[in-house]
Amino acid sequence: MGGGAMPEAGGKRKKRALDVTVNVVPAIDLLSCCISFLLFTAVWTQISRLQTTPMGSGAPQEMVQPTKSLTVTITIGERGYVLATSAGAQIEIPLTGRASDGSALYDLKGLGERLKKLKSEFPDQAAITVAADDAVVYADLVHTIDACVGAGLANVSVMGAG
Amino acid sequence: MPIVQPGKRPARRFAASKVLGGKMMHGRRSTNAELNVVPMVDMMTMLVIFLLQQFSATGEVLYMQKDIHLPDARHGQQIEVAPVVAISAAQVVVSGQKVADVAELDKDPSSIIAPLVEKLRDEKKRWDYIHQNDRDREKNWKGDVNVQADVKVPFRVVRRVMASASEAGYGNVNLAAMEEATAAAAAAKVTK
Repeated sequence: MGGGAMPEAGGKRKKRALDVTVNVVPAIDLLSCCISFLLFTAVWTQISRLQTTPMGSGAPQEMVQPTKSLTVTITIGERGYVLATSAGAQIEIPLTGRASDGSALYDLKGLGERLKKLKSEFPDQAAITVAADDAVVYADLVHTIDACVGAGLANVSVMGAG
Repeated sequence: MPIVQPGKRPARRFAASKVLGGKMMHGRRSTNAELNVVPMVDMMTMLVIFLLQQFSATGEVLYMQKDIHLPDARHGQQIEVAPVVAISAAQVVVSGQKVADVAELDKDPSSIIAPLVEKLRDEKKRWDYIHQNDRDREKNWKGDVNVQADVKVPFRVVRRVMASASEAGYGNVNLAAMEEATAAAAAAKVTK
């Protein structure tokens, strides 16, 4: 604990103790209460959300659509991704392979690069539609939407490919 | 803090004195034991800082379920309080109440899940009742619903859940995912 040097007093005055002991018991009590409370309320699993809009839901769209925008659609199918735009471009991104259990391995890296390129060409573009086959699993859908959001296309609509 | 034996004892300033300190000792050692609590206070402070960093004001919105493994995502936003639709390989559950079996959904040709729509409408009615005196009620209604599905749930089930949510007035569907760093830590733990 810290102690302050007292000024030298002349004469025969009664000297006070120079060392001051700080009582830390209240601090320990407070910290103990804080730790108990924080341990009770702690959230250990960090779950995030990817916001989507079901296609044709009629939900009010808060984002203002830019005047010069494309309609960009990613179709998730058995053979991979098909990235199509209303400008007429259609890019196929095939599967990278299949896992040991037969599930499809999608080329997320390739998709991310294509989407970033698209975003650099159309900086105002924020909307994208993800169309998935019925057999596509939830994990692949989430990874695809994550790639879209990562490329700056945050206004994601989801629909069935059929 | 000192543990002091009851009884007559010299003041601290006398105890340290060579002249006066020995008068009351009578050849015994001091029974005052000073416990150094500074490291404990340091440790508790570090613990408080760590736990404050982990603290979330919204609390736990989604609970991890044994039969649902979430996929990982890098660019997710912080999850908000909203009705939770949990889809496992076997069943669809809303706020802890089962509304459909996944096996039976394949037999049903409908594009929505009627019990789910009904349940979500109840949730919306509850929200309306709570906010009935709110002037900006219509503006504050976001229509958020959290969908927590297992990694292997097919899209045909997710699509029907989304269509049902939309039918009940929930236009913003939030797909739940584990944050990438957390997912990596969990994977490392399993590997060890």
